Amino acid sequence: MEFFYLLRSRLLSALLLTTLLLLTSYSVSAQQSRITGRVLEAGTSEPLPGVSVTVKGSTNGTLTDADGRYTIQVSPNEDILRFAFIGFETKEISARQASAVIELKQANNTLNEVVVVAYGTANRSNFTGSVSSIKGDQLESRPVSNIARALQGVAPGIQSTAQSGQPGTDATIRIRGIGSVNASSAPLYVVDGNPFSGDQASINPNDIASVSILKDAASSALYGSRGANGVIIITTKQGKRSGETRVGANFSQGFSSRAVKDYNHLSTDEYFELTWEAIRNNQLANGVSAANAAQTASRTLVSSLSINPYGSAFPEPVGLDGKIISGATPLWNDSWVDELTRTGKRTQADINFSGGNDKSQYYISGGYLNDEGMAIGSGFKRYNARVNVSTQAKKWLSAGLNISAANSKQDYPQSEDTQTSNVINFSRIVANFYPVYKRNADGSYELDPITNNRVLDYGDYRPSAASPRTNLVGTVGLDKSEISKDNVSGRAFLEATFLPELKLRTTYSADLTNQNDHYYTNPSFGEGAATGGSVSKSNYRTLSYTINNILTYDKRFNDDHHLNLLAGQEFYSFNKKQISGSRARFAFPDFYEPDAASQLNSFNGYSDEYALLSFLGRAEYDYKSRYFFSGSLRTDGSSRFSPSARWGTFWSLGASWKASEEEFLKNQSWLDLLTLRASYGGQGNDNLGIYYAYEGLYAVSNNLGENGVVTSRLATPDLKWETNLNLNVGLDISVLNNRLGATFEFFSRRSKDLLFKQPKAPSIGYSSIDANIGSLQNNGFEVQLNTVPVLSKNFRWGLDVNLTHYKNKITALPQQYVDNGNKRLTVGGSIYDFYLKEWAGVNPETGSPQWYRTDADNNKVITTQYGQATSYIGKSALPDFFGGITNTFRVFDFELSALLAYSVGGYVLDRDYVLILHNGNSPGRAWGKEMLNRWTPENTNTDVPALSTTANNWNSLSTRFLYDASYARLKNVSLRYHLPKPILERLKISDLSVSLIGENLLTFYGHQGMDPEQVIDGTTYFRYPAIKSVSAGIQLTF
Amino acid sequence: MTRIYQKHIALFSILFFLFTSCEKELSTSPTTSVSEDKLFTTVENIETVLNGTWSYMNDTYFTYANPGYGAILRTSDAMGSDAVINPSKYGFPAAYSFTQMQINNDTRVSAFWTLLYKVIDNCNNIITKIDASTGSQEKKDQIKGQALALRANSYLTLATFYQFTYLKDPEAKAVPIYTEPAKPTSEGNPKASLKEVYNQIITDLTESQTLLSKYSRSASAKYKINTDVVKGLLARAYLNTGNWTEAAKNAAEARQAYPLMNASEYTAGFNSLSNSEWIWGHGQTTDQSNASYNFHFLDVSSASSYYYSFMADPYFKDLFDANDIRSQLFLWDGLAGRQGSLRYQKFKFRENQTADIVLMRSSEMVLIEAEAKARGGLLAEAAQRLNELKTIRNASLLDVSGKSEADVVDAILIERRKELWGEGFALSDILRTQGKVVRKAFNTGGANPGPVYVTITDSQGKTAQVPGIGHSVLVLPDKTPFVANSPYYLFTIPELEVNNNPRLND
Repeated sequence: MEFFYLLRSRLLSALLLTTLLLLTSYSVSAQQSRITGRVLEAGTSEPLPGVSVTVKGSTNGTLTDADGRYTIQVSPNEDILRFAFIGFETKEISARQASAVIELKQANNTLNEVVVVAYGTANRSNFTGSVSSIKGDQLESRPVSNIARALQGVAPGIQSTAQSGQPGTDATIRIRGIGSVNASSAPLYVVDGNPFSGDQASINPNDIASVSILKDAASSALYGSRGANGVIIITTKQGKRSGETRVGANFSQGFSSRAVKDYNHLSTDEYFELTWEAIRNNQLANGVSAANAAQTASRTLVSSLSINPYGSAFPEPVGLDGKIISGATPLWNDSWVDELTRTGKRTQADINFSGGNDKSQYYISGGYLNDEGMAIGSGFKRYNARVNVSTQAKKWLSAGLNISAANSKQDYPQSEDTQTSNVINFSRIVANFYPVYKRNADGSYELDPITNNRVLDYGDYRPSAASPRTNLVGTVGLDKSEISKDNVSGRAFLEATFLPELKLRTTYSADLTNQNDHYYTNPSFGEGAATGGSVSKSNYRTLSYTINNILTYDKRFNDDHHLNLLAGQEFYSFNKKQISGSRARFAFPDFYEPDAASQLNSFNGYSDEYALLSFLGRAEYDYKSRYFFSGSLRTDGSSRFSPSARWGTFWSLGASWKASEEEFLKNQSWLDLLTLRASYGGQGNDNLGIYYAYEGLYAVSNNLGENGVVTSRLATPDLKWETNLNLNVGLDISVLNNRLGATFEFFSRRSKDLLFKQPKAPSIGYSSIDANIGSLQNNGFEVQLNTVPVLSKNFRWGLDVNLTHYKNKITALPQQYVDNGNKRLTVGGSIYDFYLKEWAGVNPETGSPQWYRTDADNNKVITTQYGQATSYIGKSALPDFFGGITNTFRVFDFELSALLAYSVGGYVLDRDYVLILHNGNSPGRAWGKEMLNRWTPENTNTDVPALSTTANNWNSLSTRFLYDASYARLKNVSLRYHLPKPILERLKISDLSVSLIGENLLTFYGHQGMDPEQVIDGTTYFRYPAIKSVSAGIQLTF
Repeated sequence: MTRIYQKHIALFSILFFLFTSCEKELSTSPTTSVSEDKLFTTVENIETVLNGTWSYMNDTYFTYANPGYGAILRTSDAMGSDAVINPSKYGFPAAYSFTQMQINNDTRVSAFWTLLYKVIDNCNNIITKIDASTGSQEKKDQIKGQALALRANSYLTLATFYQFTYLKDPEAKAVPIYTEPAKPTSEGNPKASLKEVYNQIITDLTESQTLLSKYSRSASAKYKINTDVVKGLLARAYLNTGNWTEAAKNAAEARQAYPLMNASEYTAGFNSLSNSEWIWGHGQTTDQSNASYNFHFLDVSSASSYYYSFMADPYFKDLFDANDIRSQLFLWDGLAGRQGSLRYQKFKFRENQTADIVLMRSSEMVLIEAEAKARGGLLAEAAQRLNELKTIRNASLLDVSGKSEADVVDAILIERRKELWGEGFALSDILRTQGKVVRKAFNTGGANPGPVYVTITDSQGKTAQVPGIGHSVLVLPDKTPFVANSPYYLFTIPELEVNNNPRLND
């Protein structure tokens, strides 16, 4: 505490002193003159509105108007004018020569462009940190409802895995590896300058101007405690000073289906024969003679499956030889997968108005999205609106406000977990000989006597492995699983320029989300029929706000020295309130709200508070625009920790050398840019899931109307920040007139004082205690190549390739190993090393499944008892390398782009598949095709054991079900045609294009049936697989 | 200069606000948890720990197949001789086939261990801190007495399932003992011997009995521990350790206030604390119903039951006389998908999908008393107790004349299976008596056995003959026959404990 007050008071005196000094030296320098000019796009000679024109090294600046014209006060003999525009190469020119027309070239590569960084913007070539940038137009062609899903493959260092194809869901993002074991490894999202705690899916990707990904300490340490896992900065579009209003409209219509075909199933004939074999084998094992065993199998087969799809003519469809009796054919073969999936439709329409003048600019947009999923009952519908305005209120004062509002409704039938209601899993595990609609014995449909319609078969008779009393084809439409969200986000700023060099920017931002979940089980059919149905509703409201005050000082001394200082304070507050309740027993169908149900089952509610107070500062200095240095310092106090351990200090140092500015390289015509960069720093992470991480706590656990509490947490008064030490070394090179650009970066992220759930012997009453123990590192490199192999007037081919490799390694642990589900952490291993029983194949003599076991003498021996098998540390779920390849072609007025994302190495434990690989002990459960290869006396060399109706654990989790996770996916293909200029001019519109877009069109992978895009830790969870879609769109601007 | 003046005002006012942000905003507190330093000040507050521990013990879902303490009882029955678990039902087939409680990283294995020891730690907090709190001595005695008994129940459960019976080897290392609450620096204790564990149990229960001597609970609050419950636990502990006199004495005293139920109560579904012979149980309401989930496994006759897994062994039915009121509960299942299974319709959900959980009732006490008497050589008295129960169940009585001690004990043990089916005593009795699991294929027998056809009535009222369904797992996982004291009967200590308690086997 002492330290904090000291720091604060020192900071205060320093600030005041600086301010006073600056105020006394307040004067206007002499010999100024006004110059005007015009900025055009190189090649097209179109005027470029909104280009930032500044006097280098000062804050004196303006923006070009609709015709690309600007006027600025300069000292013609001294000043250098700088022209910068996002997506274009920055140009610097001495003020003397600047009255002419300036042409800016579209950036062929991303090395010399303006990007958004922490608390401001920077030219990438002058920036000491590591940042990747994605431009808005790269996102426009992506039919995704959530921005996180568009980030895979487009930039190095970023792993994005969309683990569910459910419309509206997000993707898990990891930047440069996995930074923590028990605390969060997710990046911080920043929208329009301030941290964003709203709903990512509320942001319309078409409103996004750019996305910056900050990856190292120099770029993200200013976000201090929350920057440890990288920062994703989303900047929304602003109006241009064009004088007139620009109207843009987009419309697209698409269709979606599964990206990969589900696991192949056995046919009905195969299924019956194999079930017969399982029953027969079990009889044999119980000592029954072969003849009697076969007879019992033939006799009891139909009753064990509770159905005879071969009709009453064949009461025993499988003969004593184990073969389908000749002449017997299944009378029906319904497909649950087909019935529960459909061609999804996706409709998106957006309109925006933008414009402004020298004083004020605005961008107004509205959007509509209706994204139906490929699973019945799933979908996402969103309405959103945005107003971004900014104004130069006084010469010295500007203000702005961005407000966005979104309302969404997600129909989210259960699509993960093994619950019966999981639409994906249900269709996979119920065998196809169980009809979807009731059948008569002769195979014809049973019709409702009144309506004459087919009658859904809820399968009361089905064995339990085939989800009896459930027919999701019928109940998905009757039940509800609806998530409604409202999101309002505001970003307001006020910026005062006290001196040309000194600015104070105050911002206030707030994100308000309201989420209402409504789950309803109907009282008439399926699961709720016996209990009268049930309903539960929950409401979550989160409000977060950030206030910050940032003082910046930017000054150039003697031309060669440039200094930029920043100091400020920030306060963040997060509040979450939840209420939920459930009731049961409806008297009538079609009543969905709790009021209509008679039995109160629960009423709950809680709230959480979290606050963060921060003081931050940064200094940047460059000499001759050649040598760049930066340093930052931030101190954060987090409400998560005890008052004595609350404050943490985070810092960074960075330097870069723009070698291409040196005299000896300056005149090399082949070389456009050569920069070496390095940075180091420490950032923090306090996000260990709970908000109150210091006291010993007892959780409320009431009993039958009396108050109750139970131990939940051991006291940890000394628990403190997790620290992430980041080293980044990078090289940027651009040659041949920027036709070939490359960035190579090496990084080393070391996390120490991990917020760790240190395991305890559960017999003491706690299975773990939170502690700052252990360390891990992520070392790796990134390569990004941006090339333009062909460039002519009517044909341009751009090829961008990125690749990332990192190695995650645990370097210290509180004990020899820590188990974490089916992973084991050990020093030297990775965070996602599988720890599984090791499969030893099927015994060729007996057909029994086998595993390895380490016996008392430490020998590795074989056992047929799963329970006695030993677990061993094995393969890692993390890939060896991953990235993306983007090709873009422009031929006359056509544009074609294709993004292939890839991930090589790593393993997936396929838990989905094992459900349909039972050994015969789950009659009625569908069977994967691989079961045909089961052990028989004739087929002894196999990996599938002999069948039986008694469980043998063979499909319990083991290395048998680890599969190579490598895959490549054609994430996006987009073909766009722009109407030629002369026609547009005649139509008096500025642009009209039509496009055809495909998402996830092709997937290359090794393990049939499994969607290879799974959670980062490599364990499947019965999820909604990825969808592929094709859509057509039209974009109009006038 | 006006402009500059304005700017100065703006600058200074903002700088002023900059440094007035309150640091006190950084102090937050949870809304669903209580800080421990506030808790142990008064006896009233400490009572909330006892209540919370009880609801934790009974109503915590580890998975749907492990709803609280009841799951331990269900597992005990699944691993016995008389319940037939359909191998494809969710929840208990792995326990039934003895392939689960051996696997030390299995969810159920770690759930039971965690559950029992968390109860112990909470009780340790109460027991060690209550004397220093403020409040009436009477209330302190009550809470401390109840915490001691609850702790003893956990140790008794541990001693029952994690090691062979005390009578086999009292020195066998069983489970660790803790009597002090956990601190951040606490480490795991080594396993104590059965003798030490039972000493702790008897000591706790004896002290509890003294402390609770003045306490009386309301008749509906059978989830609160009183001296009857304590005596019942003592009877179980003495029976396990072979102290026949004390077992009989305590069992007799425990059941005094709880008359045996009549025939109509017997078929009411075993779901209510109000049942006259329940001594101890857990209450359920619509807003506290996790423990009721046990009935999705137990209840084989309500349409709302999800799994109806606990069917009866057809040979179990043969143990009952035709006029026994309990035999009315058998029904060959005629519903599609379950035809030929034998229902024992003892457990039924209440109308609102809840069901109280029985933990102790006077029939068990009668049988403990009878068994203890028999084993103590008092065969006539033993038969008298047994026949008291048989009479009210309308079963044929045991004629003790000419019977050996073993005969009488056998008769009592069979009666235990019949009377207490589904209440959690199957495996614990097998372990306690060093018996073995008995499962026989349900077939016609002989050299070439075929299915036994049984008559069912389907949902349309039509009768049919279908093969009756009996046990499907007839041997141990290693294909050897069931034997006495098989290690497969024991619950293994979870991997988490083995890995994180270096002193476990010291």
